[in-house]
Amino acid sequence: MSDQTKYDVIVVGGGHAGTEAALASSRAGARTLLLTHNIETIGQMSCNPAIGGIGKGHLVKEIDALGGIMAKAADAAGIHIRTLNARKGPAVRATRSQADRALYRAAIRTAVENQQGLHIFQQSVDDLIVDEATNRCSGVVTESGLRFNAVSVVLTVGTFLGGKIHIGDVQQAGGRAGDAPSNALAKRLRALPFRVARLKTGTPPRIDGKTIDYSQLEAQPGDTPRPVFSYLGSEADHPEQVHCHITHTNEKTHEIINANLGKSAMYSGNIEGVGPRYCPSIEDKVVRFADKTSHQIFIEPEGLNTHEVYPNGISTSLPFSVQLDYVHSIKGFENAHITRAGYAIEYDFFDPRDLHASLETKFIDGLYFAGQINGTTGYEEAGAQGLVAGINAARAVKGLEAWSPRRNEAYIGVLIDDLITRGTLEPYRMFTSRAEYRLLLREDNADLRLTEKGRELGLVNDNRWQQFNNKVEAIERNRESIAKWFVHAASDDARKIEQAFDVHVQKDQQVLDLLRRPEIDCTGLQKIFPDRFPVNNKAALLQLETQIRYQGYIERQQEEIEKQSRYSESRIPQSFDYANVSGLSSEVQQKLSEQRPDTVGQASRIPGVTPAAVSLLLVSLKKQQLLDRRVGQIA
Amino acid sequence: MSENTDTIAAIATASGKGAIGIVKISGARSLEIASLITKQTLKPRQARYTPFFNSFGAVIDQGVALYFKGPNSYTGEDVLELQSHGNHVLLDQLLDVATNAGARVARPGEFTERAFLNDKIDLAQAEAVSDLIEASTTEAASAAVRSLQGEFSAEIQVILEQLVNCRVYIESALDFAEEEIEFLKDSELTDRFTTLESSVTQLLQRSEEGVLLRDGISIVIAGLPNVGKSSLLNRLTGQDTAIVTDIAGTTRDVLKEEINIDGMPIHIVDTAGLRNSDDPIEQEGVRRAHDQINQADRILFVVEAGCEPEQSLLDELPDGIPVSFVLNKADLQSGIQQLENMLLVSAKTGEGISQLREHIKQCAGFEKTAEGALMARRRHIDALTKAQSHIRSGHRHLQDSSAGELSAEELRLAQDQLNLITGEFTSDDLLGEIFSRFCIGK
Repeated sequence: MSDQTKYDVIVVGGGHAGTEAALASSRAGARTLLLTHNIETIGQMSCNPAIGGIGKGHLVKEIDALGGIMAKAADAAGIHIRTLNARKGPAVRATRSQADRALYRAAIRTAVENQQGLHIFQQSVDDLIVDEATNRCSGVVTESGLRFNAVSVVLTVGTFLGGKIHIGDVQQAGGRAGDAPSNALAKRLRALPFRVARLKTGTPPRIDGKTIDYSQLEAQPGDTPRPVFSYLGSEADHPEQVHCHITHTNEKTHEIINANLGKSAMYSGNIEGVGPRYCPSIEDKVVRFADKTSHQIFIEPEGLNTHEVYPNGISTSLPFSVQLDYVHSIKGFENAHITRAGYAIEYDFFDPRDLHASLETKFIDGLYFAGQINGTTGYEEAGAQGLVAGINAARAVKGLEAWSPRRNEAYIGVLIDDLITRGTLEPYRMFTSRAEYRLLLREDNADLRLTEKGRELGLVNDNRWQQFNNKVEAIERNRESIAKWFVHAASDDARKIEQAFDVHVQKDQQVLDLLRRPEIDCTGLQKIFPDRFPVNNKAALLQLETQIRYQGYIERQQEEIEKQSRYSESRIPQSFDYANVSGLSSEVQQKLSEQRPDTVGQASRIPGVTPAAVSLLLVSLKKQQLLDRRVGQIA
Repeated sequence: MSENTDTIAAIATASGKGAIGIVKISGARSLEIASLITKQTLKPRQARYTPFFNSFGAVIDQGVALYFKGPNSYTGEDVLELQSHGNHVLLDQLLDVATNAGARVARPGEFTERAFLNDKIDLAQAEAVSDLIEASTTEAASAAVRSLQGEFSAEIQVILEQLVNCRVYIESALDFAEEEIEFLKDSELTDRFTTLESSVTQLLQRSEEGVLLRDGISIVIAGLPNVGKSSLLNRLTGQDTAIVTDIAGTTRDVLKEEINIDGMPIHIVDTAGLRNSDDPIEQEGVRRAHDQINQADRILFVVEAGCEPEQSLLDELPDGIPVSFVLNKADLQSGIQQLENMLLVSAKTGEGISQLREHIKQCAGFEKTAEGALMARRRHIDALTKAQSHIRSGHRHLQDSSAGELSAEELRLAQDQLNLITGEFTSDDLLGEIFSRFCIGK
């Protein structure tokens, strides 16, 4: 019988970051404890019932490639699934799924309960055990005084730190409607040397679907065939499908909101936290875009076994009576019954610039932060961080070097690098425009980018590994085969291609060149010339086609990466004294001393650090190296 | 390590005219650039006397090309050194070939920096490297700021706005496809691209003409006959360029010389004395003098000390071109008062000449810089040219296949280039623009 109070890794929090962290940590071989204040809310979607979207879907696929759970759960719970940007290029195509909350929670709960080496315990955490002498975190203390010890502790407490809920001028403490906040832990953390600030986010009132007149509203069906998130998944994983609906606010709605602005927590000055620019409350939209007479509302179903819906687009901190009034002014909602009031929530977050890329904190060894606590928003952003924190917490136990993907390897890398080098002023959400290597970081190749690494880290099981290798082989065999294929103008092949794709093959050319034309695709070619493609695998054909189409750009981005990586991996010792770097401006010196980047690459991405400053830093590091070597020789 | 670096290029000799000019190139593309310029494959460590070709394949000079294969080179990388005649237009063309082939113009001190990082310089020299980087960046930064004042800066700002404008629409269509944004019609976007493209092209044309950016300034010496204009030219160039006699009207033709004041090229034009003459040769000389005066960036109007500049002559000078009055023959007069806006000199004795040089330098608007302010501005042209080619590709993608993400990629690359001139514009800045313009967020 093993000791129930001693673990390799403790993960505090059972949300999207916490569950990915706990799963990754135990998969990587660490004996792991997941501590949550309520086992029933493990895998709870606190905001809207949807997974994925542009930029976010990319993260989900990357989590999947690294053996995470989010994609599988989203497939098991997906009741309305679409590919966004389907008519644009593959790099910006993204999967988005409405999820049945109950099914999603169940999928996560099942995975967590069945994970070998992972235990769950229900109890709120009030304190961290930190050795003052070594600045090392070695466990946690729960609200009833139970002590749990571990080598690494991952904190994923979301919006629960000092959480405060606002509805109009009414405020109450809470980490989510219906859940108590973690105030004792918040107080404890505020006493540590981390930089803390407040953020704000909001939700709309929820509505009983039975009281909505859908006959007046535009229905939006999901895609057929249905997109699938997990590389191991299929359409068969999906439950029954339903429609979403669309309605709009109108001038009457805006009138009501304008007349009651003073009562909004946002406008009465009760909220100090900063909300996201891309997810404004309805009162913000009405004020900031006064010339718009209507805003879109997506009516998202909460699940198959409930009538409750989530009207996405009207989040608010107005008093309940005003919420009733403006909701009733909206088409289809004339007789709507609100089941839960909308609210704004303010919470503490820790400046992510105080983290290493491993997500370990710079001030306290063995302590990792992941998810909304780092200033992000979104399940996908949280899950991605959880995964990385979980892996690294487990690796630290074994004395292994930390791992975090680079900006050119994954959106996860962009996310973490942005956070630790630039920090954030608003809840950080992923967008494809944040990724300078957008054409490389696609949903369709997340497995090709990350599965091998995942295997090396111990996160990829034999089944996934086998399927991955099959796909790679299929791509390569097809590529080899068509690489030798030359189409002569006016030949039989040319005629068939012209007929099938409505194009003109003017001159003799390679099929590889023909495939760069937007009208021609591999799947279509395979249908006409099955013998030319040794392996008929849909995903492999699509992959080959995308690689051929983007080839020039991919090569250029690779070149850019090589240039960048020259010195960017050079490590800066944590004890490095920036005051000794001659020539650095005091502003840059201060920034670097404050932030203590781990590598020269990170330093170069801190705002205000110029290329010349990077040069001076490199020269100074090299000088230090030479000096150290000389001292070594003398000794 | 050397195959992983980008290739840098720079004119290694001081700007302005010298006997020999050197262009240095370091990095993986050196050999490739060598073959573009010399049309042959160079062997390491062998000097080759060869014709130099420009980007259009024309022979522009005959010179010595040296290729060093890394790590056996000054920087530890592949290095190409081109020694040609010291004419900056020529050197610029060599630099053009390099940048067209993927090199970028080196930052100040960058060759030395690479040498140090590749273990080619020892510790004792490290401090000097830091100093060099620091000193030259300060100068480059101030040169960049200077050249960003006025019209050039205004034009760049316009281009930046137009570029961001296009990006806002393209990027929001990619990242916020589900939002109810009023997306531009393709035709409107195409129009914006066209405007952007022509703005960049116009600015580049003007820059390439050198009026604004490259050639330093042109100064025309004018005045009555026999006031010592040619003597002044000889004094300024330090050479016996112009024939000087006591006979009024000796100078018939236009004489052009280039001098170098602290690395800044100044074109000095000596002209025939302005007077009515029956001599058809002299008449032609006066006509040519007026031509030159009309093209000048500044006129040095020479008057004999003690005399007043003749009003009728002053009236003939074109509007809008600044005039400096130079009182010559100070040696012949005593007690001449130094008047405001007038420079008292003696071309014969050299008195006042250093003040005149200082005055010219100030008029040109440059302080002394290690690399020559021209280099900083060469970088701007380089960046603008690259931005232009990305904008064109982006436009083409939009027209051919309305491939949003490829247009977006080209515009991102164009913005990266403009960032070199204007300072950083990050993806977060772009998102800020999008959020301020559109109501995003369901």
